[in-house]
Amino acid sequence: MTGTDGLALATRGLAKRYGSQVALAGLDLSVPTGTVYGFLGPNGAGKTTTMRLLTGLIHPDAGSIELLGRPFGRHDRHRLFDVGALIESPAFYPFLSGRQNLRELASTGAPVEGGRIEELLDLTGLRDRAGDKVSTYSLGMKQRLGIAAALLSNPTLLLLDEPANGLDPAGIVAMRETLRHLASLGKTVFVSSHLLAEMQQMADIVGIIAAGRLVREGPIGELLNAEGIVRVRVAPDEVVRATAALGAFGGPDAVTSSAAEPGWISVRTTPERTGEVNRALAGAGIWATGLETGNDLEMLFLGLTGGEPVPGGEGTFFGLAGSGPGPGSSGTGSVA
Amino acid sequence: MRLFLSGLRKLVRRQATWLTLGLLAGLLALIVVAVGATANRPGASSNERAAALSLVTFPGAYDAILSFILGLGGLFAVIYGAAIAGSEWTFGTLKNAVARGESRSRYTLFSFASIAVVIAVGLVAAFVIGVVAALVGAHLAGTATGGLSDGATLGRLPGQFARGWLAIIEEGALGFTIATIARSQLAGIGAGIGLYFGETFAGIFLPDIVKFLPFNVATASVATGATGGGFGGGARIASLEPNTALVLVAFWLVGSLAVAALFTERAEISG
Repeated sequence: MTGTDGLALATRGLAKRYGSQVALAGLDLSVPTGTVYGFLGPNGAGKTTTMRLLTGLIHPDAGSIELLGRPFGRHDRHRLFDVGALIESPAFYPFLSGRQNLRELASTGAPVEGGRIEELLDLTGLRDRAGDKVSTYSLGMKQRLGIAAALLSNPTLLLLDEPANGLDPAGIVAMRETLRHLASLGKTVFVSSHLLAEMQQMADIVGIIAAGRLVREGPIGELLNAEGIVRVRVAPDEVVRATAALGAFGGPDAVTSSAAEPGWISVRTTPERTGEVNRALAGAGIWATGLETGNDLEMLFLGLTGGEPVPGGEGTFFGLAGSGPGPGSSGTGSVA
Repeated sequence: MRLFLSGLRKLVRRQATWLTLGLLAGLLALIVVAVGATANRPGASSNERAAALSLVTFPGAYDAILSFILGLGGLFAVIYGAAIAGSEWTFGTLKNAVARGESRSRYTLFSFASIAVVIAVGLVAAFVIGVVAALVGAHLAGTATGGLSDGATLGRLPGQFARGWLAIIEEGALGFTIATIARSQLAGIGAGIGLYFGETFAGIFLPDIVKFLPFNVATASVATGATGGGFGGGARIASLEPNTALVLVAFWLVGSLAVAALFTERAEISG
């Protein structure tokens, strides 16, 4: 593998099939050292398959993986001594306590420092319940224990699959701060998630996967800037004229309006050009009654992974198609 | 070593361990005490009485108790081995170990080594409970217990235990391997029980083949002559000579574990 200097994790042409179903179709990931990398994709896009491949649970049909600068193949399990992982739902012995589960897990793989388990029970807020059987834990507590398990060997690279599942808001904030702190210590955190707003706050870099391929990867600021949007509100009887005027400004493909929000028109452009949008309207004799700038990961995500949410399909959460906030609702600066 | 000790700690804390031992020892104690209490009931023929008293009269009671444990224990071992191996897949805990860089085959084999040790302890515990129950039965039947300290019988016991342990862990290894291949606790237990009784049933039609199969060789390897392999299934057909059977027990044991380790090594772990 070449061109992977400075990367904690890299995959090249990673492919995996389950029978006739293609799970990954040549995935190229580049995760720089010391960053929080948000791995995003709709259900069935290949996120968990990628996680399983990165932890040696399954093996690729084609392509290569490099972990912490060294190739990772079928016989390189020791590479995982520097990796901590939480894959899918956390798995524990229900008849053991949280502390006992960590203790038994510590007997596998890389050695664990003395006192590390108590430290992690404190970190994840589980100390008070550490002696209780895991079968009595809530989903959120199991998730915290899973994060503790992933951190057991003080790993250099952390792979977390949907770590916020089941966490309450305070738990999510604590997790975010912990992961940011780990990145500040030079560790690399690779997080797959559906929580786009959470990723927007936490990740330095995002990779968006759809249908087994990486469709976009880069620093989150750059991606969002490139996918900026300006929304204007005009009188409903002026929408047609305003759309034409803004189409002349940004191109017809950059302008959309929705019957769900009468009078609102969206223009795909960088937030820095908000004034020019307003000027284009004024030039046509139309005065905006509202103006919002924004760029949100959800818009980018939906645009790259299949556009409009379809009920029950990709881009749909719990069957509520299009339930997310509109453009500009996240990371926006309203000037209306 | 830490993997082995971890396996032991997990087994000691499992309900399945205590339930299996409790069932085996409880059944044994119940039967022996009940036999002792009813041996002299009015209306019993002299043959019935002699058969009943043989269970609570030492030193013959030693053989009877061991025979019971090794017979029924074989079925329990299949279930126990399947329960432990299957739970690693059902709980998803094998996934955790592999993701931490643990060797799959090492993990599998040390898990079984822990089971083998727990089975050894369980055998001794069940035997002690059986002997105590036989003493109670003897007291109820009014039989003397002078044979309790029979030197010749006590001298044979360690060797019989060793053979019995090997036979039982071979049967446990079968359950362990079946559950590993099935990747499921329930499927492993079901298939293990099916195989156990299926082999006995097949022995009716194919005795010359079935006598080489795992449950029959396990029973044949511990046959003492006096008790003929005992309760709970196994060799009810023309058996192999005990030492030949013991070699085959070792073959089935090693073979089963090799299959389990190889399967785990190559398996795609998901879910």
